[in-house]
Amino acid sequence: MDFALSKEQLMIQSMAREYAEKNILPVAQQIERENKIPDEILEGLAELGLFGIAYPEEYGGAGGGYEGYALAMEQISKVCGGVAMTISAHCMTLSTIMAFGTEEQKKKYMTPGCKGEHILSVAFTEPSTGSDPKQLTSTAVKDGDKYIINGTKRFISNANWPGTILVFAVDSETKRPTAFLVDKWCEGYSISEPWDKIGMHGGMLLDVYMKDIVVPAENVLGAPGMGYPILQLGISFGKIGVCSITLGAMLSAYEEALKYAREKMHRDKPIAKFQAVQLRLASIASLYEASRWMTYRLAWLANDVKDPVQFAKEAALTKTFVGEAVIDLMRDAMAVHGSYGLINDYKITQLWRDSIIAPQIEGVTDMQKVIAAAVILGNI
Amino acid sequence: MNIVVAMKQIPDLQQIRISNRRPVLQDVPLTFGGIDKSALEAAVVLKESLGEVKVWVLSAGSEELEDTVKEALAAGGDEAYLVIDQSLAGADSSIIAQVLAAGIKQLNDVDLILFGEGSGDNYSGQVGARVARLLELPLVSYARDIKIDGDTAQVVRVLEDCEEVLEVKLPAVITVLSDIGEPRIPSVTQILKAGKKPKQTAELDDLGISAGQSNPVITLSNLAPESNRKRIVVKNPVELVEKLKSENLIGG
Repeated sequence: MDFALSKEQLMIQSMAREYAEKNILPVAQQIERENKIPDEILEGLAELGLFGIAYPEEYGGAGGGYEGYALAMEQISKVCGGVAMTISAHCMTLSTIMAFGTEEQKKKYMTPGCKGEHILSVAFTEPSTGSDPKQLTSTAVKDGDKYIINGTKRFISNANWPGTILVFAVDSETKRPTAFLVDKWCEGYSISEPWDKIGMHGGMLLDVYMKDIVVPAENVLGAPGMGYPILQLGISFGKIGVCSITLGAMLSAYEEALKYAREKMHRDKPIAKFQAVQLRLASIASLYEASRWMTYRLAWLANDVKDPVQFAKEAALTKTFVGEAVIDLMRDAMAVHGSYGLINDYKITQLWRDSIIAPQIEGVTDMQKVIAAAVILGNI
Repeated sequence: MNIVVAMKQIPDLQQIRISNRRPVLQDVPLTFGGIDKSALEAAVVLKESLGEVKVWVLSAGSEELEDTVKEALAAGGDEAYLVIDQSLAGADSSIIAQVLAAGIKQLNDVDLILFGEGSGDNYSGQVGARVARLLELPLVSYARDIKIDGDTAQVVRVLEDCEEVLEVKLPAVITVLSDIGEPRIPSVTQILKAGKKPKQTAELDDLGISAGQSNPVITLSNLAPESNRKRIVVKNPVELVEKLKSENLIGG
């Protein structure tokens, strides 16, 4: 058992840290205020290969595996969660196409995505549907060798950027959810203004309106009626991104708490000298370390998924732990800051807003526990 | 054209902790010095402008170099020549210069040899000049810009109160300032391909140098400066402003 990172992994980590500190940090407050990532940041990330870091070179990727992806996302998120969220949602789509696409689909849809020319999206959630496939109302009516898609999707990441969107709709033949590769900005595609969400600014969530979108039958991913298993595995890959982003916020809060504890004086000594603060710092460190290694392990497992059901369990367990740990960690980090932890001049407030999202997206924590328990218990 | 960039493996300065005023070097990852990285960047920029250029990365040090050199190969080096011997970690400038000069002699048709003006750890600034002497090549130091035209390099050399523009016939040794270029951030692909680039390794014996010749630099004291807080107490903002002015921390 060797937990040491390879030289290449350390270099990827260092590269992402350096890019984030040099290029994203100077505009991080602008992104926070305007909820928009400057184009030159996205172009820089694309040049470094970060939009396709985990995927094989034959599909335009960098071949860095999911561990490289997790390490890079953590460092980018440490500086700006919204930027990392954009890449995470994009990569969840790439991973899904990678797992279920035909060779032709992978070449056609992954290549521009991995190069950062396209920013991809997954569209499952609807205004009245969370994770329940039976409640899906979007429809795909088969018409010869094509489908006509109608419906509304809610809280869709990256819906504003050009590229492919993986749309889940109930098809008229199987009466079950089917996944379709759709070109954003095709005729019949429109979007709302971004939702004004609590944190992760820059990573935009929008509603998508689909009116009579015509999609060739060859754009079905997997097979008709396979939509829900496709979503389950795709979203399991997505949890690597969410957990890595969360790690970045945790690491940043860890550093902020340490810095504050060393600098804030009370009775002529830094508050770090007081045991009550030390206990909180130790809790922060242990929550971060445990989350970190669970996430890295999940990323390692993702490189070679032998059993999608077991992988879904591992992803759910990791997301459960990390999603709960970050809340405890942020509470401790805010406590170290005392009343200053409530003041927006302190970074900890933004980290709090960013990380409260972690237990809510890619399936709420209760949902993760239900998934994990179902696999653990089998048929009971 | 062959450009050799000499780079020194040092502890990553960003990751050194200070304990009891002493640097804690245990488990600190190794990297190359910052100015050495700028020298490499200068070589890669020359390659991009001139075309037919091979950028060699030359380094001498402990066996960790085999991994550390991937950083330079990811950042644009084409091939590495490494002299590996445990005794070279912390060896003094004269031995390192002999080793590097001997290494350069193993490479064919070297036109330009670049050094950072000083290493990221000891910053003695001696090795470039010593190598130039050993190879009997001209030396230009403190360069912030290099242009190549045929067999001549035009170099902007920065002194304390002026800049000189010099021409030097190649082959030559040039030591550069960090101003010469900010090291580029390698992409994921460049990082992953670095380990597959060609690399030659040699031992001291191969260069006819005895390990016993290496005199390690013995550090007698390496303490972080003590900072004493002045513990000035003020009662109100007006008094604070006055104190800050008296300490010359804000303008009068």
